[in-house]
Amino acid sequence: MKIIIRNLAIAVLFSSLGLSCSNELDTKPLIEQSFENLLQQDPNIAKGLVSRMYATFALTGPNGPGSSDIVANDAGESAFLRGIINLQDFTADDMKNRWGDDGLDQLTTTSNWTQNNKFFRYLFDRVYYTVPQTTNLIVALNNVNVPDKALYISELRFLRSLAYYYMIDCFGKGVLLTTENYGTTTPLPEASRIQMFNYVEQELLAIEDELPMTNEYGRANKSACRMLLAKLYLNAEVYTGTARYNDALTYVNKVITEGGYTLAPNFLQNFSADNDTSPEIIFPLIADAQTSQSYGNTTYLVNGSMNSDTMPISLFGATSGWGGHRATKAWYGLFGANAGELAASSDVRASLFWTAGHNYEMGDYKVWVDGYPCTKFRNSNFFSSSSPTNFSSTDFPLFRLADAYLMYAECVLRGATGGSISQALTYVNDVRARSGATAITQSDLILDFIIDERARELNFEGHRRSDLIRFGKFTGGSYLWPWKGNALNGTSIPDTYKVFPLPLTALDANPNLTQNPGY
Amino acid sequence: MKTIYKKLLFLFLLAPFSILAQGTLTGVVLDKKSNQPLPGVNVVVQGANESTSSDFDGKFKLVKLKNGDKIVFSFIGYESQTLNYSGQKEVTISLDDSANQLQEVVVQVGYGTAKKKDATGSVTVISAKDFNKGAILTADQLLVGKATGVRITNNGGEPDTAPNIRIRGISSLNAEASPLIVIDNVPIDNRLAAGQGNPLSLINPNDIETFTILKDASATAIYGSRASNGVIIITTKKGASGTPQFSYSANYSFGKVGKLIDVRDGISFANFIADKYPSLVDKLGIPDPNNPGERILYNTNWQDEIFRSTISQDHNFSAKASIFGNVPFRASVGYNNTQGLVRTNDYSRISAGFKVTPTFFDNHLKVDVNAKGFSSKKNAIDAGAAIGAALNMDPTKPVFGDSPDNRFGGYYQETFLDPTLQRYLIQGQINPVARLNQRNRPESIDKFLGNIEFDYKMHFLPELRAVVNLGIETSQSSIRENFVDGALETYQFNQSTDPTANYLFNPGLNYSERQTIDNKTIDAYLVYTKKLSGFVSRVELQGGHNFQSFVNQGIQKRFQYNPDTGIRELFVNPQNPDNRYYGKMALESYFGRANIDLADKYLLTMTLRADASSLFPSDRRWGYFPAAGLAWKMKEESFLKNSKFINDLKLRLGYGVTGNSDIRSQGYYPYIALFSPGNQNGQYLPGVNVFSANAFNPNLTWEKTATTNIGLDFDILKSGFLSGSIDVYMRKTTDLLATTSFPPGQFLTNQFVSNCATMTNKGAEVNLVAKIINSDNMNWSINGNISYNKGNVDEIKGSTRIAAAGGGLPGIGRTLSYHAVGEQPQSAWVFEQVYDNAGQPIPDVFVDRNGDGEITDKDKYYVALVPNWNFGFGTSFNYKNFDLNASFRGQLGGKVYNSAKYQYGWEQKVVPNVSQNLNNNLDGDLPFVTIAENSVVSDYFLENATFLRCESLSIGYKFDKLYKSATMRVYVGANNLFILTKYSGQDPENFNGIDTNFYPRPRVFNMGVNIDF
Repeated sequence: MKIIIRNLAIAVLFSSLGLSCSNELDTKPLIEQSFENLLQQDPNIAKGLVSRMYATFALTGPNGPGSSDIVANDAGESAFLRGIINLQDFTADDMKNRWGDDGLDQLTTTSNWTQNNKFFRYLFDRVYYTVPQTTNLIVALNNVNVPDKALYISELRFLRSLAYYYMIDCFGKGVLLTTENYGTTTPLPEASRIQMFNYVEQELLAIEDELPMTNEYGRANKSACRMLLAKLYLNAEVYTGTARYNDALTYVNKVITEGGYTLAPNFLQNFSADNDTSPEIIFPLIADAQTSQSYGNTTYLVNGSMNSDTMPISLFGATSGWGGHRATKAWYGLFGANAGELAASSDVRASLFWTAGHNYEMGDYKVWVDGYPCTKFRNSNFFSSSSPTNFSSTDFPLFRLADAYLMYAECVLRGATGGSISQALTYVNDVRARSGATAITQSDLILDFIIDERARELNFEGHRRSDLIRFGKFTGGSYLWPWKGNALNGTSIPDTYKVFPLPLTALDANPNLTQNPGY
Repeated sequence: MKTIYKKLLFLFLLAPFSILAQGTLTGVVLDKKSNQPLPGVNVVVQGANESTSSDFDGKFKLVKLKNGDKIVFSFIGYESQTLNYSGQKEVTISLDDSANQLQEVVVQVGYGTAKKKDATGSVTVISAKDFNKGAILTADQLLVGKATGVRITNNGGEPDTAPNIRIRGISSLNAEASPLIVIDNVPIDNRLAAGQGNPLSLINPNDIETFTILKDASATAIYGSRASNGVIIITTKKGASGTPQFSYSANYSFGKVGKLIDVRDGISFANFIADKYPSLVDKLGIPDPNNPGERILYNTNWQDEIFRSTISQDHNFSAKASIFGNVPFRASVGYNNTQGLVRTNDYSRISAGFKVTPTFFDNHLKVDVNAKGFSSKKNAIDAGAAIGAALNMDPTKPVFGDSPDNRFGGYYQETFLDPTLQRYLIQGQINPVARLNQRNRPESIDKFLGNIEFDYKMHFLPELRAVVNLGIETSQSSIRENFVDGALETYQFNQSTDPTANYLFNPGLNYSERQTIDNKTIDAYLVYTKKLSGFVSRVELQGGHNFQSFVNQGIQKRFQYNPDTGIRELFVNPQNPDNRYYGKMALESYFGRANIDLADKYLLTMTLRADASSLFPSDRRWGYFPAAGLAWKMKEESFLKNSKFINDLKLRLGYGVTGNSDIRSQGYYPYIALFSPGNQNGQYLPGVNVFSANAFNPNLTWEKTATTNIGLDFDILKSGFLSGSIDVYMRKTTDLLATTSFPPGQFLTNQFVSNCATMTNKGAEVNLVAKIINSDNMNWSINGNISYNKGNVDEIKGSTRIAAAGGGLPGIGRTLSYHAVGEQPQSAWVFEQVYDNAGQPIPDVFVDRNGDGEITDKDKYYVALVPNWNFGFGTSFNYKNFDLNASFRGQLGGKVYNSAKYQYGWEQKVVPNVSQNLNNNLDGDLPFVTIAENSVVSDYFLENATFLRCESLSIGYKFDKLYKSATMRVYVGANNLFILTKYSGQDPENFNGIDTNFYPRPRVFNMGVNIDF
């Protein structure tokens, strides 16, 4: 017995010694899956991958409002759309925020911009999340056969171009990651604004034919692509020094004439929880109170503009008001020079400010009651009753037909060929008439009118800063608004503020990147 | 030469007589104090090949002895004795257990043991008598301040809080930076079970016999892959033979919070509002129901409301005996119940340990079986949120409220009536007392740690041993978060417009998780030991294989509220219905070690280890880690041999490389391209399930640390009066695994882990023990240690700085501390504040350090947060049956960011942000009206973090012969009795150097009893 035990012990010892477990080192995940496995499971999963890329503009991450695709201190702050509103509207004349979060005051007061401001970093990092992610999928899809592969790739190229558009517009430089150089690990060279412009132009021209005239709601079609091209061309003089208004007119005209969109009969229909029924929206960023939750989609616009101190927030479908954003008189002043005139305006768009308990003047942007909260975006249905929810169900109309109409008019006024001033007048009056504003005459239709009409129609939709720069009104002292340059009545700001500083994290990570002048 | 010649001649002549005089000696070894037999005592004939060890009755037998042979009796924890053999037949040896550090202490060196005096590496042994005393919940508390070069900075006073152990500075940035912990030969996982805060909470501190800390690479290299940050080997108490011994101990402790943050009380706050913000006066207090328009102001100290006086207890019972006549056995059970300072933060633990060490086949096969189980349960709280809310809450508001809209179980909460929906909506901060009392979140863990080791000495070749060790570490965690009825956080609405009927609460389950961890270890190795005569006096060769696997998996139940009914419903994600997660890591190693002793004076150790980690791609998976150590026992040299001044002296040189692969903080598959399903709230296009591409890095490989160490162990003056060690070292870490910003657009997200940096740590350590009085009636010893470490970031690939983990300031997304090239790791990057004549900071005015006329980032400078000097000292005194122990420790230098000054130290802080409620701020005149962007990173907020803490103090009395041989010691003591510091906040000891909503370390008074029978 003793011997047997001993032999057994020896056998165990030596078999253990010889034990090799090298194959055990290839540990396999069970929940996460490889691309090949996913497609094997269901080729239609490719659509889920594309859906996720669309979502990168509206949601902070794939696992609800607490998740973030990019490393951020606060997941909710990191959404692409939230970045667009922060950088395009708070820095401009239309909206101010009072929270005073580290860095937000600086946007609101267009002063003391530095490379440490996290809000610049969020948008920058968002662009460079969507760009490699879409590219990664393009590369992967190129190597497999799945239904609708060509369409998906075109859509992904659209999304990548859209992300780059914000890099061109906001930062004026960056790096160009493409399908061709994807996988490079050494830092890419800096790409100039012109290089990035040319790349995005080529990409959009290339996919224009590939994209269908109509696509499912929320997905890019020909018109979305053309609208982005038109925006690129409209601002080309700012971006590249060369005006491209003819091209802008060409593409915006295609959107108007071929797209099949019509103005929604009621302005508010575009900004309500049921705005997916609007015939006007060319490209929305989808939100849903249950399935697409984010602190950075329209929830940010709705809840951020609400405060139960002064407003019945549930009237607008909100359950909580964050009490942050208010419009300034640079916006509502376009409807009336004082509270009384504003109230008397027949324009539907003039009625979308909460004035009760608030001051017309924004004496202190940090005081909630100074300035009027904007109720343009709301989380209540337009056509039916709905109950308030924590998150917004209102889709964000990134591109819509009224914008195209006003772009058409602007191009014509800027001397573009291929359109007519009478058509321009019709489009502008269509937009105005829809909101009950009085019709204008051809003599009224000048560029200064356009920039104001764009404010009345499109403020808080992420276009304002770009518009002001294009009209030469953003920097310098020729046009002032409350708190511009951190002064109550506004003061001149330097021309270098036409682009934002690149974030320090990006400069640290890619030594080829240089800071924009003035920062 | 002449002398040697003479000696040789003498030996030569004597030889035949010696051979003739061969004799046999038998005897017994006893514990001097208890007179109990001591098994396992090493009995060695000096200079000869003859050795044995005492059996379970303490008996031994030596043959072939010559007159004049010196027989050395040594045993861990006991002072060695030398017997001059002169033909005795039988002896009784009594060993004294007042262990001398440098003598025959046996140290764990990984896959084996060595005598401390023969160890070639830098090894510190802390045994039970040196431990911190008093109210001890987890093993790290025994050790803090005791071992030189080991900095333990726990996260605060929460029971089960993470200990943050760093050996010789920071040498890993985002990879696991804690040392490898080995408990009875099982390396345990630094990844914690769900609900576990401290990796050491699974072992009963009362069962621990020694901590052996391996610091330099020549010592740690045998653990290669996981040893970059040092190794702490914990050995538990062993069984005994002879009469059974029982021991019972009990400790009761009483804790209180020390210093509170100086926010305003109700009176100061009301005056401040009336003075500075008169328009806000009507927001103070609550409406007086009897006098409409009037307000009732309370004076609530919210910190007092969330903190409590604690009572905790600890009981242990252990038995040592031999079973079946000769199998040593020890078993213990323990119970601990610790109350955290923050209300409802309760922790309890039941632990059981079992150790049996049978031998078979005439001691050829030794088996060591260890099993430890523990079961813990704590009520987890969000302490940071509760403390933050207590600091922020308006002190004129009450804790309890009985108005009709205070429907929250009697707690006061500000609400308002929404006019359209007719709902009473919550506004303002959530009452922190309600938050604590209305939620319970039991997190319970059942854990088992066990191993069985077979150590077989070959029958045909006794010099060869084969050892197989099989270990498992397994745990099951369960988390269940529940709310009571009326809980503020579950307050919801239905569609009714009747404000008295349209609300509901959702008591019951809000979240649950079950997690399982299964870790396995298999070691198998051969050891060949041969004593030789000649210049090479001993050779030990060792080679083996090690495999470990770690599996962590679990499921979660999540809920969400139905927007129409307000009812909380199970939230099922069809793509992953149970919210399952799963990760597996595997490590495999081959190792070899050679110990060669030359002339008994020069000890050489060489180690080579090859390691593979499943966290790296197959072509980058294997790392090779060589090490060598050399010790010179100078005392054995003729010029010191007869020195009365120097009792022992040993010089050690070591060099080695160790590795680190543990980046599981980035997931278990960081190098593979994988896609994850999104959850229910993260969908986008209707009717399509989203999948996300996860970030990965296919170029990951081993982080390597090369350590050079020079050390000296000494024992001088009359035996044991002063002993200690001095070490100097340099550690260079290359291919550091760190989370860093990637070049924008070139990876799937903005930050991920890569092998991106190089860092150097240089330092020195001194450890001293002085036995000032050493007599039968009175003993007094003092021990002390001090260590200096300075790190430097040498290089960051493609960058000059990366944000330090945990270096973000609260709330605002601003990074304070960085790892920057040319600076110490974890340095704050700050502006230099300008002060007025009164010494107050001038808001937003900083020194233009580069003189370019503007204040930009270029004017910022780096201030190291981590202290360079750490020290600890203690004293132990006993006179007859009285004993007194005291331990102190502290740090010199280092900075701590006083977040309270920035979060609450400005006037406008009180102004409501998004709702009606006022916020509290710091009392007194404040230097800032508001705090602008740059001021946040002003060096004004950095304060000197030097401190001296009285870690433990105890006074005891031992009653001998209480009943027969039973003894009883009673004691009273204190832990964290006081702290001396210039820091203006609560406590400067802070792991990340940012003091935010800190869970205070309690001041604890304790009393207890130990009974041995």
